Amino acid sequence: MASGSKGPRGTTLYCPEHPDAPLVEDYHAGDMICPECGLVVGDRVVDVGTEWRTFSNDKNQKDPCRVGAAENPLLDGGDLSTMIAPGAMGETITDEHGKPVYRNRRTLNSSDRALMTAFREISQIADRLNLPKMIVDRANTLFKQVHDGKSLKGRSNDAVAAACMYIACRQESVPRTFKEICGVSKISKKEIGRVFKLILKTLETNVDLITTGDFMSRFCSNLNLPHSVQKAATSIAKKAVEKDLVPGRSPVSVAAAAIYMASQASEHRKSQKEIGDIAGVAEVTIRQSYKLMYPKAHDLFPEDFKFAIPIEQLPAQ
Amino acid sequence: MSAIEQTLAHSGGDTGIGHYPQASTGNGEVPAPNLPTHSDVNEELQDDGPTIDIVINNVVCSFATCCHLNLKRIATEGMNVEYKRENGMVNMKLRKPSATASIWSSGKITCTGATSEEHSRIAGRRIARILQRMGFKVRFSNFRVVNVLGTCTLPFTIKIIDFSREHRQAASYEPELHPGVTYRIKNPKATLKIFSTGSITVTAPCVANVQSAIEHIFPLVLEFKGEDISEEELLRKRILKNKNKRPKSKPVVSYINDVDSDWMDMEDDSELDTSEESFDSEDSQD
Repeated sequence: MASGSKGPRGTTLYCPEHPDAPLVEDYHAGDMICPECGLVVGDRVVDVGTEWRTFSNDKNQKDPCRVGAAENPLLDGGDLSTMIAPGAMGETITDEHGKPVYRNRRTLNSSDRALMTAFREISQIADRLNLPKMIVDRANTLFKQVHDGKSLKGRSNDAVAAACMYIACRQESVPRTFKEICGVSKISKKEIGRVFKLILKTLETNVDLITTGDFMSRFCSNLNLPHSVQKAATSIAKKAVEKDLVPGRSPVSVAAAAIYMASQASEHRKSQKEIGDIAGVAEVTIRQSYKLMYPKAHDLFPEDFKFAIPIEQLPAQ
Repeated sequence: MSAIEQTLAHSGGDTGIGHYPQASTGNGEVPAPNLPTHSDVNEELQDDGPTIDIVINNVVCSFATCCHLNLKRIATEGMNVEYKRENGMVNMKLRKPSATASIWSSGKITCTGATSEEHSRIAGRRIARILQRMGFKVRFSNFRVVNVLGTCTLPFTIKIIDFSREHRQAASYEPELHPGVTYRIKNPKATLKIFSTGSITVTAPCVANVQSAIEHIFPLVLEFKGEDISEEELLRKRILKNKNKRPKSKPVVSYINDVDSDWMDMEDDSELDTSEESFDSEDSQD
């Protein structure tokens, strides 16, 4: 929708009666129309619509409008060529009469192949963790950047993919713990951690620190805790960190202990084992953080919290 | 730099404690800390306010013997050796100074576990002497200290979350991976691990760097001071730490055959204890 479009000879088209009006393109008729008076100013514009119409009941056949898969311009090599080969590695598929059949195949370079494998791996991880496309795209972009840098060349691609996914989640402010990523990938937590640090050094970026609030909504919904308990747990954890009651403890452990405290004070009591399973934190760790927080329980709970069990009767362990 | 070496020579024990020349007031009280400005820190060690001990725990060195070594012979004829076939190296442990050397057949040797640069050098020379006595044409060459590990405990807790937020370019804090902040500095080249309890671990290529790294980090960390740790708590912590790290005085049966007279004094060992010490090989050399 340009205000005046260039005609075939480079002249700008405009409606003679409304020179300032922006012209509207009508693709299917191939016209440029003035929206004020309806005058057709330019014609014979090339139609960029599809050549064939496809009907939905014709799905078993390939869509003749398209050649090859949708291209991935940002991430792959921008490979625009089409290769036709009689069959991979000498297995010539022969038609009747013994003539080889030509199948349209797109051969990738080896570098693209590694990228494609990694993207598939990233999308699998995302699938298992129910992550949206935006995070997947970000992880793909990170992987491409890392791959181009070639400094992590010796590392397993799966490890780099998992670490890129971790960084993407962090950058989108919805961090997933290392243990969660580790649970859906076959790489060990140690290796993912190592690769993560290397990637940060290569890309010269920094990520924000994780906070207890990032995990509350996920853990609480997995435990089927109501919103009031979740809010209480969030505030408990935040206050505990502010008052420095739990120095040196991982935010995940503090969050788990806060959830334990909040759930024990409400009607939905959850055991340390259940919370530990969901959060990936050991029971003893929850117990230790809980012990540090318990003395100040009175200050940690929010004011408007409805106690099903009063603070004095909260378990001390 | 020279101050540390002098105090190490005087200390006379196995722990290389480097004291700052400024002594604390007689009865173990710590004088009130004054926040050192940058110009103060640049001057000398004395301006760090309270005395802070920097303990050198481990010095790693590497040297070469300029000749090929037959590991199998060393493994069979040597005293206090272990042969790790899958790694292709021989571990030889020394009693005084306590150190462990990894010997490769190419003649390259890595010596770990010493508590100061001097000890490391002496340990290296002892190992070379032992190999020489076995008949190899050993020449002690290319000695260089690769890594020095030092620890120090500050008398106050540190708010590491705020600290890592402030120094994002040099500090890396991943609570899920490690409970400490990893702070790297370019000059002097060193890596510091800062913990919320106030302990700091420094890894650097030489002892002088350890010293200057701590000086460098002290004002930065002072900004994020948490609570002060009282002197008795510090002492309690130190006693607990020393209880776990026993001095090597437990006798071990397997080293009965070793006779001390075999070992000749190669250098002036005036600062080392020359009395017979048994050696506990199971202890990890921190």
